[in-house]
Amino acid sequence: MFSITRRSLMLAALLASATGVAGPVFADAGEVTISHYFTGELGLKAFNEQVGKFEQATGIKMKESPVGHEDFKTDILVRAAGHSLPDVFSYWAGARVDFIVKSDSLRPIDDMWASAKLDSVVAKPIADSATIYDGKRFLVPFNYHYAGVFYNKKVLADAGMTAPPASWDEFITLCKTLKEKGIAPIALGSKNRWPAQFWFDYLLLRTAGPDYRAKLMAGEASYDDPQVVAAMGLWKEMLDQGFFVENANADDWTDAADKVARGDAAMTLMGTWITGYWNGVGLVPGQDYDFFPFPKIRDGIPNAAVGPVDGLVISANAANHEGAEKFLAFMMSNTDVQAKWAEAQGALSANVNVDPKTYNSVMQDAAKTVAAAEAFAFNYDLATTPPVAEVGLSMFTRFIDDPSKLDEILKAVAVDAKAAFKQ
Amino acid sequence: MERHNTVWRIALLAPPLSVFAVFVFWPLFSSFFYSVTNWNGFGSDYDFVGLDNFAKIFTDKLFMNAAINTTIWMAAAIVVPTLFGLGLALLLDGKVPGGRAFKTVFYLPICLSAVIVGQIWIWIYQPDWGLLNAVLSNINGEKMRYAWLAKPDTALGSVILAWSWQQTGLSMVIYLAGLTAIPEDLLEVCEIEGAKLWQRIVFVVLPLLTPSTVVVIALSVINSLKGFDILYIMTGGGPFNSSDTLAMHMYNESFRKYLMGYGSAISVVLFLIALTIIGIYFRQLKKVDRIYG
Repeated sequence: MFSITRRSLMLAALLASATGVAGPVFADAGEVTISHYFTGELGLKAFNEQVGKFEQATGIKMKESPVGHEDFKTDILVRAAGHSLPDVFSYWAGARVDFIVKSDSLRPIDDMWASAKLDSVVAKPIADSATIYDGKRFLVPFNYHYAGVFYNKKVLADAGMTAPPASWDEFITLCKTLKEKGIAPIALGSKNRWPAQFWFDYLLLRTAGPDYRAKLMAGEASYDDPQVVAAMGLWKEMLDQGFFVENANADDWTDAADKVARGDAAMTLMGTWITGYWNGVGLVPGQDYDFFPFPKIRDGIPNAAVGPVDGLVISANAANHEGAEKFLAFMMSNTDVQAKWAEAQGALSANVNVDPKTYNSVMQDAAKTVAAAEAFAFNYDLATTPPVAEVGLSMFTRFIDDPSKLDEILKAVAVDAKAAFKQ
Repeated sequence: MERHNTVWRIALLAPPLSVFAVFVFWPLFSSFFYSVTNWNGFGSDYDFVGLDNFAKIFTDKLFMNAAINTTIWMAAAIVVPTLFGLGLALLLDGKVPGGRAFKTVFYLPICLSAVIVGQIWIWIYQPDWGLLNAVLSNINGEKMRYAWLAKPDTALGSVILAWSWQQTGLSMVIYLAGLTAIPEDLLEVCEIEGAKLWQRIVFVVLPLLTPSTVVVIALSVINSLKGFDILYIMTGGGPFNSSDTLAMHMYNESFRKYLMGYGSAISVVLFLIALTIIGIYFRQLKKVDRIYG
């Protein structure tokens, strides 16, 4: 009998150790755990090189787990649910960070920010919009992207474009010329919905202005307001005139980029990461492709730039928060790290001390455009709360599928968005 | 001795049971728990909202849409592979020239992962250069550029077709096994007695294949409930929710909208539906066993 009990005890011990596997895996003392979405084409190799520089400089080991960009959104949530967030993770500034700040899952970094003197390092418009939530700083914005009209230089030269369209009328005329020549003026790959959002962002920002847009994003304005109807109306006119490629909802953003690269389409409204993609397939910046800012539509409206800001945050229960803070400060302040990393990602560094000469000509122009902009706005799905973003993103694809239903769609979205804001 | 055995049984069952407890029962009960909260997935900040999440299901247009799609998906995922599998098995049974090669070809898709099958069919459906539009253009004489997966009226059907293509091989193999169990003499007698081919199939072969049909349908139901991956790859529930199933809807609410509480309520409803289907299946299985077992 005794022996059986002993065996049972052994089994119980075995089981205890087996189930222990399901719990969080703790890092060794001194290590900082990090999870991020810089895999494959988003610059894993370059990221690891920069992390290596931090390890060498400080002697602190980083233990990392990269997860693909789209999967990361789910992965980080699952880890949060299991109370096993890494010490540091990358995240998209804006409504998404706000969302987790409200859940008390992040650690404020005001002290670190002050002691590392990041005020003199981070570009002010980015620092103002991306780092502070509920009155405290939570995020180090290491780089940002800018959405502009990227085009095939040869195609637009053949269509007679000598200077970027300065007004909406000029832009529409350019589209008409291209259409007459049998080239689709605008490529769009909205299969995954988000690429369509930049059209909404810019049309609304250029007609109703950044203040109204901020209200809409915060739930203080409605999707059936005349401002939204007017912006969507401009988009509808363009779709009705056949300025967009057919079946945009069937393509990825890379399909759209390919169409422009091949010359089947002339332009695409996309973030600066498209330069990373195009450079990767052998296109030469400034020679094969270039960009111009989204044209002005109405006078008297502040000129806003749109884009996402990538940042690093520290989780509230970080086991090694001192190491984590050192990591954030180092990655932000070191200009060499910032330049290399931004280059690999086709992004712009948020560090004002990075020499603009490290960028290629197109990215230099993008940096100048953002610097000259009067406001910097996060793109739609980072500007409004996730439940509302879902409603809006679906609206864009539905509208692209059948623009004639615009009124009906906006009425339904106004109701759905109101309900989603309450959640 | 008896007591000794009992202890050993418990000891031996303990490892699998504990794995189940951690990876099945614990998440299951967590879902029940979270379904009565407004938890958003981050942190441990939530309120109890009673049955609000379940009440919301009744007013959620997207839930109703997903429920209808799930019904269509399950019905099609049961009927189409079963019929095609049966048809192929009847054609390939016996001595068909190249039969072995055909069987391999038809069975092959089931060995592929849903991700690969999804990708292959995305290419087939691609509007600009996809195979399907090319074939239709040849038949039709006009240039077809229909975006099968990007149009709300065809998205779900297109995924079902891809799914059926993958699953048909499995039903075929089960039916082929069933066919080998039917005695040759019986069919010969029928033939001598003057029964026509269709009479032999309808009155002799099909009834004797009932046990195979039960297995095929059971597997189809189970596989169709699991059919989330191919939808996720091919349409992601889109365009604008037109191919959302309940599993997809649950995923969207939980992981895209960060409404874990509501997502959990949907998963509880899904669980109850699956439980009901399995219950019905077991009852039918008993009946079949009584007749054929």
